[in-house]
Amino acid sequence: MPEHGVYLEKLSAFSRILRSEGLSVSPKETADAAELMTVLDLENREQVKTALRTVYAKSRDEQICFDRCFDSFFLSEEAMRKLAKEQIEKEQEIAQKREAADRELEQIPVELPEEYKNAYAGMAEKERNSLQRFVERIKDSMERQPELYANFIRSVFARFTMEQYMLSEDAGIGCEGLDPELGLMYRDISEFKETEMPKAIDMIRNIAQRINGELSAKRKNTGHSGLLDFRRTIRKGLETGGTFNRLRYKKKRHRRKHLVLLCDVSGSMVQFSEFALRFIQSLNQVSESSRTFLFSENLFEADAFSLQNMDLFRNYVRQSGVYGKGTDLGTALEKLCAMQPAALNSATTLLILSDTKTIDQARAVAALKEAKRLAGRVIWLNPIPESKWQYIRSVQTMASICTMVSCNTLSALASACRKLAGV
Amino acid sequence: MDIQTLKQKMDRAGYIYDETLATVLMVALKLGRPLLIEGAAGVGKTEIAKVMASVLDRELVRLQCYEGLDESKALYEWNYQKQLLSIQVNMNTENRDELTKSLFGDEYLLERPLLKSIRSEKPVVLLIDEIDKADEEFEAFLLELLSEMQVSIPEVGTVKARSVPFVVLTSNRARPLSEALRRRCAYLYIEYPDLEKELAILRAKLPHVDDQLRVQVAQAVQNLRSNEAILKKPSIAETLDWAAALDALGARELTPDILRHTAGFVLKSNEDMALLNEETHCGNCGGHHHA
Repeated sequence: MPEHGVYLEKLSAFSRILRSEGLSVSPKETADAAELMTVLDLENREQVKTALRTVYAKSRDEQICFDRCFDSFFLSEEAMRKLAKEQIEKEQEIAQKREAADRELEQIPVELPEEYKNAYAGMAEKERNSLQRFVERIKDSMERQPELYANFIRSVFARFTMEQYMLSEDAGIGCEGLDPELGLMYRDISEFKETEMPKAIDMIRNIAQRINGELSAKRKNTGHSGLLDFRRTIRKGLETGGTFNRLRYKKKRHRRKHLVLLCDVSGSMVQFSEFALRFIQSLNQVSESSRTFLFSENLFEADAFSLQNMDLFRNYVRQSGVYGKGTDLGTALEKLCAMQPAALNSATTLLILSDTKTIDQARAVAALKEAKRLAGRVIWLNPIPESKWQYIRSVQTMASICTMVSCNTLSALASACRKLAGV
Repeated sequence: MDIQTLKQKMDRAGYIYDETLATVLMVALKLGRPLLIEGAAGVGKTEIAKVMASVLDRELVRLQCYEGLDESKALYEWNYQKQLLSIQVNMNTENRDELTKSLFGDEYLLERPLLKSIRSEKPVVLLIDEIDKADEEFEAFLLELLSEMQVSIPEVGTVKARSVPFVVLTSNRARPLSEALRRRCAYLYIEYPDLEKELAILRAKLPHVDDQLRVQVAQAVQNLRSNEAILKKPSIAETLDWAAALDALGARELTPDILRHTAGFVLKSNEDMALLNEETHCGNCGGHHHA
């Protein structure tokens, strides 16, 4: 049996790993785990795992994170052998593929970086053949303008590499199998099924309630404005015969922000907009007055009644005539800016819910700049995950003009609303 | 208590458990930590506290949480009527300081569950049920009790625990609990039992019921729980009630008709009942289309 010290060392390293994964592990937890090691049957892997999970993980999502860390840190002997075998096989397969790819790439008269060569090796045979055929077809033209076609071929490789990268980054996949609620929290809103809606709405209510609680707690400690309140100072001074023992200050005025919501309800966006709107309605305390505008090719204002429930909202949007059409952000923003009486002023926070895909982008950019000039603050809620922004030019353009936050999942939406509420 | 002894005692109590639960309980007992149990309503969270009281041969002290629960309902309250009477009776006493002091003695203290659990000479099992229903302020107040095993009463001072209770907190996750409270507890998440475990529970609790019926009931309940459209999933207690009711009605088999007529034992909302009726009806008529 290994010495006790070995376990302590391992536990300490394991605690560090858990901390790096976001679990708040204090020395007390490590000490508890060490104490347990003395009474547990260390041959029984499942028992050790359950006992340590009880000590280290304090919620369902922490449990899932713990299980992942434990399984990769404390490998069973069988798993270690299997892993080593798999690794060798994988390396051999990659080497073979790369060899074959290098032979095929010799036919392409373009200098490719290593990254692209690896990407080519990872392509399916069908895709490789189609690329080969394409090169064959343009071979003659390539001789005339080699640099132009070389760039084009490189861009094809770049696109493939990017697609692979994006596929591997889809968050939340597999989460729902472990805990449906947690899955909903981190899954893309656009992928919610009809049957999951009641649960999702319930979660929205809970999150909104929590954020409201946090906000009211914040408001309690806001202090004074720094301006002397003469009336109260003199009145208090009279109690002590005119001596001003303590100066009284004017209280800070809590100016609530006026919120203007501009929601994209084009076909691809409608489900996301429904959720975002429900969320913001639940957070009504943030703003004493809010106005909601919906847009696709045109702009119109949604009344409060239509936002009361999802079905009503859906019907309302469908009847409005803007549902499922193309997106014209430029027109919508221009109309919003030109509204009389003015919808935007310095006390307004303009919240745009859109995936940035719009016709006539130049016009949209100009209109957004104008809206930013008129409104006190512009925040863009983007349903596209942040990791993919770098690949989409329109997102980069809009993000350079205003604050952009990702909100493709309920969790991201909650943190975006928290940021919004903190302004 | 080692895990084998714990398992033997749970077996004797007729409680159906799995390895995970036994290990978690052993860890909580060994470390002397409160046990926080989360899970959907009706998975048997409260039952664990009851079983632990029986296993440890201790009294179960229960505090049911609700919105607005405060110290006077959870910890202690002064017996104001008795204090007033005492003042009236001793009005003419010379030593007024002594009288004032006596008014805040044990005689006038009404113990509520939390105080009772730590002042008990014999250790008890303290069940703080549905902590997620209580306010955040109450949660903060619990921290002192859970970490230091003591409470502060302004008129008396700090009351240290005479015996350390085994504390079980349950939560349906109606609201997230504070990080501080979680950190002080050992954590257990329980899900609905699988078919095998549910059947074992039915066999243990209702030994007189026909086994074929028990299997059908367990299977039907599993189907209802896996149906995403059912809003309120049946609990274990409801499964037991249903099986007992079917047995009392003399049913030997769970036919679609009997299922429809007795589904009220497991489904508690109109929408769920309507959905079940629709599904069993369609199942009977061979899947043809309805107008």
